[in-house]
Amino acid sequence: MRRLLRRLALLPPVLLAASVLVFALPRLTGADTVRTVLRTRTASEAPDPVTQARVAAEFGLDGSAVEQYFRWLAAACRGDLGVSFVTRTPVGSAVGDALTISLLLTVLALVLAVLLGLPAGVYAARRPGGMLDRTVTGAGVLGVSVPEFVLAPVLVLVLAVHAGMLPAVGWGTPAHAVLPVLTLAVYPAALTTQLIRAETIAVLASPHVRTARAKGLTDGRVLWLHGARLATTSVLSLSGMFVAGMIGGSVVVEVVFGIPGLGRLLHEAVLAQDLPMIQAGAMTVIGIALVAGVVAEVAQLALDPVARERSR
Amino acid sequence: MLRLFTAVLLACTLSACSSGTATADGDSIAVAMQFPPRSAYAFDADDGALLMTLGVAETLTTVDAQAQPAPSLATAWEQTGDPKTWRFTLRPGVTFHDGTPLTPQSVVTALSYITSVSAPPRAVRDIGLTVTADGDDAVLISTSQPDPVLPLRMSSGNLGILAPSAYATGQQPSVLRTATGPYILASVAGADSAVLERNDAYWGAKAGASTVTVRYVTDPQSRALALQSGDVQFAEGLPHAATAQVESAGGTVTAYPAARTVELLLNQAAAPFADSRVRQAVTAAIDRNVLAAKVLEGAATPASDLFGSAVPWGATTAPQASDPATAKRLLAEAGHGPSSPLTVRLWTFPNRPEMPVLATAIQAMLAEVGITVEVTVGDYSAQEPKILAGEFDMFLNSRSYLSDFADAASVLTSDYTCKGSYNIDHFCSAEFDAAIAGLSSTGDVTARQKVFAQAAAMLTEQAVGVMIVHPNNTAGTRGVTGFTPDPLGVRPVLPQLQPAG
Repeated sequence: MRRLLRRLALLPPVLLAASVLVFALPRLTGADTVRTVLRTRTASEAPDPVTQARVAAEFGLDGSAVEQYFRWLAAACRGDLGVSFVTRTPVGSAVGDALTISLLLTVLALVLAVLLGLPAGVYAARRPGGMLDRTVTGAGVLGVSVPEFVLAPVLVLVLAVHAGMLPAVGWGTPAHAVLPVLTLAVYPAALTTQLIRAETIAVLASPHVRTARAKGLTDGRVLWLHGARLATTSVLSLSGMFVAGMIGGSVVVEVVFGIPGLGRLLHEAVLAQDLPMIQAGAMTVIGIALVAGVVAEVAQLALDPVARERSR
Repeated sequence: MLRLFTAVLLACTLSACSSGTATADGDSIAVAMQFPPRSAYAFDADDGALLMTLGVAETLTTVDAQAQPAPSLATAWEQTGDPKTWRFTLRPGVTFHDGTPLTPQSVVTALSYITSVSAPPRAVRDIGLTVTADGDDAVLISTSQPDPVLPLRMSSGNLGILAPSAYATGQQPSVLRTATGPYILASVAGADSAVLERNDAYWGAKAGASTVTVRYVTDPQSRALALQSGDVQFAEGLPHAATAQVESAGGTVTAYPAARTVELLLNQAAAPFADSRVRQAVTAAIDRNVLAAKVLEGAATPASDLFGSAVPWGATTAPQASDPATAKRLLAEAGHGPSSPLTVRLWTFPNRPEMPVLATAIQAMLAEVGITVEVTVGDYSAQEPKILAGEFDMFLNSRSYLSDFADAASVLTSDYTCKGSYNIDHFCSAEFDAAIAGLSSTGDVTARQKVFAQAAAMLTEQAVGVMIVHPNNTAGTRGVTGFTPDPLGVRPVLPQLQPAG
């Protein structure tokens, strides 16, 4: 509990430090924000200095960087994340809409990954070196190795173009979510399988499991109650990292399937130097990463008595 | 656990199958567009032209195939006794999608808004444009100086006319059900998709489909796969390599010229390209026919000057083949040879995938004549300040040569006159500037087009840069008919599409 409280107390200063980085980094790229924004809105734009100065003043870019930072921070603390330089619409609602989509995709993909990876890893660990183990390990290596930009078009080609079962692009119906979720789930599923397999093998060889077997516990109960349960704790801590990574980093999947998620929104905002959008989106991802880390830790403590004991 | 997993997988599969894929439904269609709305359909940005392409918004004038102004919401126009003022007669019987009629006052509201934004589009920037109603059926549009091309200017996609209700909030105008075109913008989902409905009260030819689901798909291969799978019936900007796949799936792919040039800009503000012999040597060393046919596999047309076949005044002849011997001779005359080899930097950006490929091929061609090229592919936004400051040798750029409307004066002025705001190669010629200055008093569109062609010839003659290729646009159809390419990019495309069968 004390460890958890320490983690929670660290959140505000970490977020504050992150806000400085998120504010400063896009400004250090050397790009001219006003010209880049104007060119994003009008591709062949070649703005004159008078127009640039007028737009800079409109964006609030005419003051010092320190002044701009504190103005942004104060507004953000009041819940005002600003207006996009490019669309001239509030960034809060844009980030919220995109986050909802990315969150849904991420949760579905991680649930699918666990549903696939957990039984595959546990059953593979029953007989290390057996046929099932070798098959699962081989599939795991393949799953970790195939990049999303290869996997996504292959799935589209097979399931949308040839089989005609699913839509190739777009967002809006449950069917539209199937291919992106499958694509996103493969890597965490493969990693989960490998992790669960390794952890379960280690747990099954531990003294307390040998004692449990000696007391006459069935193979199934040993495998699921002792082996899988403890192996799951390491997967939980991994999931915390996956959540933030997948929410902000699913750019390839979102571009290939035409999904208006947070990764794509952030990617386009960075290219367009849309500073309010970058700041709001990046802080959201960082916030989620921090919260997901804490949640994963709580879950780990709940499941793992050894970790619980250590944290006291 | 295994049972639970099997059940979930089965449920997923059934849900997917029952939802089915989007196919042409009756006279409804779905399309995949290349460029999403970047600015929430703002008229003062490229989204104005997008609304024209969709068939949603309209302007006072449009252009015909010869890039001459043609009637749209205005049926006639004339210069008044005051050469700074034009009178546009409005089309009778036009109603906005919200049911209100097109009136002179609504035109005044719309055009006054666009001139008041912080960065007005180039079509109306710095020309002192004012609009007043003139009776019940006309508007008077004035500029601070006589403007011979005002009717052409009024065809810019940035100058769409919306109902007064669109401007009621004082914010960015709302484009939902407020325009006049053959399609009504019924709903939008950010930059992801939009739904169009046929405007049965449209003043002209009715649109082909009753509803259109517009999906914005930025990945070219995904657009091709969507067309192959039947998700969409029309897709623009298909990768050249996908043509065979689409055609084998029963689709048709049409390639047509884009009003765009990939140009190798040479910094004339410093050595070595201040010397015209070095520029000419580079021009002679680069084989544009090979770049278009082999390197880009036919996805572009070799450029012989700044303007290509997308515009009536563009060059249609193929450029000369490379001449390494002449290139070496010119380099030797300029003092470069084996004893004093020439090394230059070439910068480009990866946003358009053909750019790094072309840069590498150009590097190889120049190596054959003894020029060592160091290629840097970087972010354009970071490169631009240095480029405009003249801190570069060669810059491979991709540039649309029509800005806002079918007239090249704006690009020629900004890119090639001595005081041009985008004069990257720092070319400065009094003769060229005089030719461009003459356009301000040339009202006849045909005469202007002659000047554009002459200006392009001057740039070629003085080896200002090397015009490499004009990229082609592509569009694929499957299950619809009636697609007519619009190389000028200013006319509606979707209303022509008719669901087949």
